[in-house]
Parts: sequence; C-alpha cells; structure tokens
Amino acid sequence: MAATGGFVEADNAEAIITRIEHKSRKIESLLKQLKPVEALKTALEGSPPMTRDERCKSANWIVVHRALMAIKDVDGMLTSLDPEYHDILMKYLYRGLSTGDRPTCDQCLRIHEKLTEKAGLGCILRSLADTVNTV
Amino acid sequence: MAAIAVHKFAQCITCHAWSPDLSMVAFCPNSTEVHIYKLLQDKWEKVHVLQKHDQIVSGIDWSASSNRIVTASHDRNSYVWNLEGSEWVPTLVILRLNRAALCVQWSPKENKFAVGSGAKTVCVCYYEQENNWWVSKLIRKRHDSSVTGVAWHPNNIFLATTSTDGKCRVFSTFIKGVDTKDSRTGPTSDSKFGEQIVQLDLSFSWAFGVKWSPSGNTLAYVGHNSMIYFVDDVGPSPLAQNVAFRDLPLRDVLFVSERMAIGVGFDCSPMVFAADDRGIWSFIRFLGERKVTSSGSTYGSQFSEAFGKLYGGQTKHGVSNDAVEPSRSRGGIHENCINCILPLRRPDISTTTRFSTSGLDGKVVIWDLENQADLSDYL
Repeated sequence: MAATGGFVEADNAEAIITRIEHKSRKIESLLKQLKPVEALKTALEGSPPMTRDERCKSANWIVVHRALMAIKDVDGMLTSLDPEYHDILMKYLYRGLSTGDRPTCDQCLRIHEKLTEKAGLGCILRSLADTVNTV
Repeated sequence: MAAIAVHKFAQCITCHAWSPDLSMVAFCPNSTEVHIYKLLQDKWEKVHVLQKHDQIVSGIDWSASSNRIVTASHDRNSYVWNLEGSEWVPTLVILRLNRAALCVQWSPKENKFAVGSGAKTVCVCYYEQENNWWVSKLIRKRHDSSVTGVAWHPNNIFLATTSTDGKCRVFSTFIKGVDTKDSRTGPTSDSKFGEQIVQLDLSFSWAFGVKWSPSGNTLAYVGHNSMIYFVDDVGPSPLAQNVAFRDLPLRDVLFVSERMAIGVGFDCSPMVFAADDRGIWSFIRFLGERKVTSSGSTYGSQFSEAFGKLYGGQTKHGVSNDAVEPSRSRGGIHENCINCILPLRRPDISTTTRFSTSGLDGKVVIWDLENQADLSDYL
C-alpha cells in the first residue's frame, strides 16, 4: 500500500514543497515586520501537509520551527491565536521536544506549559492520539 | 446535588446493569463472577452470585420486559440467565469467537442481543425455538480492530458499533424469521443481515461507547482523543459534528433527551453536552461539584492526579499521600475512570432524568438531573 501511495505522492510532493517555500518567504517578511504571531499562524496554516512524504513534513517543520523560535511573548501569542490552531501547535511542540536541541526544547516547553493551561489536557490527548495526521 | 446515591460495592467494577424494576443491580467486581445486590431495608444485600465464566466479565445487560440477564466475558462466551424459582439458570451461547467478548446489549424487542469482540467481529444472537438454543450470527471482515461498543437503534434492526480502528459503523441485522418485514422502514428497507449502512471515519484514534438518541435520529460516540461525535441523518449522507473538549477522554455516552447527552470517562466526573436551538452541540458543564480553581493550578493537580490514578490504584494508595490527594481535592464523586453509564427508566415514566454510573473505583453512583435548573431546558 505504501509503495503505490508513494508513486501518486511523488508529483504531489513537489507541489507541496513549492507551497512550503512560498510560505517560508512570507514568514520571513512577516518576521521582518515584527509580526511573529502572524508568522506562526501562516506557518501552521495548511499543516500538517496532506502527505506521508517525510521530506514535506520536515520542510514544513523547518518553517514552523522558524516561526516558533521567534515568539517572545507566549501569553500574547496564545491570546491572539485562534483555538482551532491549538491542536496542531501542540503537535509541533512535541516534534520540537523530540529533537533534543536545547534552545528548541526550552522554547517548546515554555509554550507547552501555557498552551496546556489554555487548551487543557484534551489538547495533548488529541495531538498524541492522532497517528494519521502526523507532523 | 446531582448525585443522589453513592454505593461502593467492590474494589473495581467492570460493568453493571439494573433489574427491570430497579430494585436490584448486577455488576462484575472485576472477576469471573456477577454479583446481584438488592435493596433490603435501606441496605444493599448480596442476593445472587452468577458463577459460570472463566475470565473477567466484560458486559452485562438485563432485559426490561423478559427479565433475562446476558453476560459476555473475556473467556469468549456469553450466557443467558433465566430466573427459575429463586435460581438464575445459565444457558451457554457459543459465540464462535477466537478472542474476548467485550460488550453486550439486548435489542429493544429483546429477541436478539449483540456482542462486540476482540476478534474484529460482532455477534448477533437470536433464540431458536425448535432447538432451544441461542444462535450466533457473525458480522465478519467489516472491522479492522476490536469492537468496543454496540448500540441498538430503536427499530430493532440497525446496530451501531465502535471500534479501536477509530470508526463507527451502522449495520443492518435483519434476520429472517426473527424480524418481520414491517419493522423495516425508510430508504434502507431492503438491507440484508450484515449489510453496512454507513461507516463514519471521524476519529483518528480508538473509538469507544456509542449510543442512539431516544428517537434514533442522532448517534453519538466518543474517541480516545478527547472528542465526542454527534451524527444526524444516519444513512447515505450523514451530518456529523465533532466536539473537542479540554479534559481527559470519555469512555461512554448516554442520551437523556434528544438534545442532551452525558459523557463519562477518564475525567471521573460526568460531562453534560447539549444541542442549542440550531442543533449545534457543545460542552455545557460537569455534573457534580467540581471545585472551580484557577486554570494555573488545575494544570498541575490534574497531571499529578492522573499519575496518582495510574499508580495509586495498583500500589494501594501508595502515591496518594504526596502533594495532592487525588480526586478528593477536586471534590469528585467517582475517584477513578467511569466506564459504564446506564439510564434508570421506570416503566411508568417516559422521561429519563436519572442515570447510574460505575467505574474502576468500585462505586455505583445514581445521578438525578431533576433539580439542575440550568439543564432543564434541554430535557
């Protein structure tokens, strides 16, 4: 099943990569305008990519990571972030924690604490229990 | 107060069921036995012990009009128990399973019962008069994983199932000679036994507990990802709503009216869900006193409480003395996961405002929605 799926996704993956590159440029310009929350929203939009291709997932993670690390005011960010992004943000926080990289983990833990306060344990459950739409 | 009676019967209860007149309760104390207690002079007394299964009893259902008990167990068998004189006499039902039976329910007319199993199959059993025998018909090759819940539609034909493959399915269980033609109504009237009416693929993790609303128009089931799903117009074009909530996942659900459902599960406190005038479902509140704390401290205490629950139960409360006293700090009535919820319907009264819950803390709790002013609109 994975083999046949891979063929179909091969051309699809290119399109997704292009879209992520486009997203990346948009995020850079938003960060230059000092709009880190807007950048994070842009990064989370359309995530996770609808594919099993690991390259796409990694590319998208790099983009999200870029926006995530630029967040200084966690409370402010969560206030202006719509609840519909909570679950997907939580998934990326766990991806960040799995990297083992010190600054990334620090930042992810900081956001994780505030996000759990806001969205509850249900949010963690939803991000961990979903084995289909992995980030 | 929403909880009107709390009884601790055992260390742990896997499932329970009520006698038709609600004077007796049958439950499995996490063993191979089923205990039946009766309320005698304001005290619950053990009146019967049903001993036949070899492994944990995972499901009990007590039929309302025929007064029969059906049990399902991890030993892969079911028994139908008939009261003869003062003795409960078991009849073995060979389910033809190679894995544990997980749940059981009588059909509304009580001429059939359904068993969900770990063998990825559902057994629909009916009585054959000429052989004096319960026959098990299987719905095979439809589920990709264990069947965790079964629920009968009021029409006695449709059966909804939930499975650990994350899907909820509805099947026709029309059996020639048992069901009559006229009981088949609607667009799916020519469906044969085992035909899949609809498959709902809303949850990406295990699905548990499924129920129909009293009219059979709405279906609700819960996922292990802290979501509850409400489905209207079950058929070719179902309308589904996903409700995410901020607390631990649910294990079972019960409709108390067309517009209100109660969910129970790992959060130890029943949750009320209701539909507004436009039919949009949302989480309303917890039942029972739950201390309202600032969100900051709930985070910490909920975590340690969850861990306390995990380990405290096994190590005989070894962990419970540190820092937070589990559950009691939250003022919950159940102290562990609730895994069973049943309506308490008296034959003479049509509405259900009462229901009972049982859980891993060994308690059976009776709840009443009568004096809950804010909820009365939805009843």
